[in-house]
Amino acid sequence: MIGYEDVGGVHIKYLYHCRRQLWLYLRGIRPEHLNTAVQLGEAVHDTSYTRNTPVDLGAAKLDFVDGGHWVHEVKSSGRPSPADEAQGRHYCQRLHRVGIDAQGAVLHYPKTRRTQRFPYTPEAARQADEDIRDALTVARAPASPDRLARSACRGCSYTDYCWTE
Amino acid sequence: MPAAARTYWLTSPCRIRRKDESLIIERDNAANVHVPVTDVRDIVACAETDLNTSVVALLNRHRINVHLLSYYGDYAGSLLTSETSTSGETVLAQARVAQDPHTSLAIARSIVDACAFNVRRVVDRKLLNRPYTVLQESIKNSTSQAHLMGAEGTFRRSAWEVIDTKLPDWLQLGGRSRRPPKNAGNAFISYVNGITYARVLTAVRLTPLHSGIAFLHGTMERQRHSLVLDLSEMFKPLMAERLLLRMAGRNQLKEHHFDRDTNQAMLSDAGRKFVVQAVRDEFAVTVAHRTLGRNVAYDELLYLDALALTRHCLEGAAYKPFRIWW
Repeated sequence: MIGYEDVGGVHIKYLYHCRRQLWLYLRGIRPEHLNTAVQLGEAVHDTSYTRNTPVDLGAAKLDFVDGGHWVHEVKSSGRPSPADEAQGRHYCQRLHRVGIDAQGAVLHYPKTRRTQRFPYTPEAARQADEDIRDALTVARAPASPDRLARSACRGCSYTDYCWTE
Repeated sequence: MPAAARTYWLTSPCRIRRKDESLIIERDNAANVHVPVTDVRDIVACAETDLNTSVVALLNRHRINVHLLSYYGDYAGSLLTSETSTSGETVLAQARVAQDPHTSLAIARSIVDACAFNVRRVVDRKLLNRPYTVLQESIKNSTSQAHLMGAEGTFRRSAWEVIDTKLPDWLQLGGRSRRPPKNAGNAFISYVNGITYARVLTAVRLTPLHSGIAFLHGTMERQRHSLVLDLSEMFKPLMAERLLLRMAGRNQLKEHHFDRDTNQAMLSDAGRKFVVQAVRDEFAVTVAHRTLGRNVAYDELLYLDALALTRHCLEGAAYKPFRIWW
């Protein structure tokens, strides 16, 4: 199973979105490539913001970092969510661990043409560390977490897996 | 499964070639067809097909399987992509379930039961009522997979007899025969079963399950995809028996659709095209799914059933094999 250093952005995102999804993802259930929305998102990602270079931190891969050490993350959805914020926070934490003092995260929502800034405070650092520990707890759980309410699963690429009967 | 991609059925001899990042299908007597590779989920080749390494590389990158049916219409093999979807943990869980005699027998029982249920539903509820109760009884008493399969065979034999009463003389089965099929009816069933097997293999390949570890059939016996044999049991009646009865009832099957000798039969070229078209359209039929709350194609049902089995192995959720519910 994964360790502290292996936790990436996707893990943190799934942790906030649905713990069950994280648990399944870690066990190799990967139906994402079959989902049309995901395919579209990937295509959009491949063709937009091509001038910026993604930064690969091993487990985490972030969209780009600007000159002022702000982490930028582009989101294809229109609605900001706590999961997006947590993901940005996690990238800042990862950058700090390799010696770059990231100032915070800037989340771009091109769909609604909004951006949100989340400075990386000591409070956020504590939270980021806690998120990683939470993700590891979920990973080590022997039994899978329960499904969310059916309505919360709309649009999730794991719906087929979780709800077929 | 993605709504965007679809299955391609090749019914005339052709060569698949790669053109940049896409596919061209070349045929002798018709124009070339350009196929965007993202549109392909898998390919069923019912006629002679040539392809080369660069095509295979492209197919592999897009996780596209090619299923080959031989000249005689039986399943000849598949060109499978590397196992990118299997997950170690799931396969281990699957193996644990398969090794435990108690749980694997429980799964085998429910598969046989569901299969017989579907046969009875498709063929004749009234006439097969009694054989079905007999089968349920012997399922309860059976202690091994071999015993189960014997009981299923008995049930199947009475089902074949009932089917014969609904077919015109020249299509009657007179008992199931394979390799080679003895008569037209058997040739039809073998052909459709071969296609169903190929489709289930595609579905299983999209899930993290290992296609060789089975619960009813012997695991990896004779290098077959035993799990696919297990899962296709429930779907064979839905496709083969049902289509045979329907097409015979509508007088759609003609004698020229078959090449018949004294002791064997196979589909003729015209018949093959016709049957493949019918099967293809049948796989695209949709039904309302209860828990997913949307319409799913028959094709997708195979995948959903494989997912349900994954969930049973990994999480211990109850596995109810596919039963026709409409």
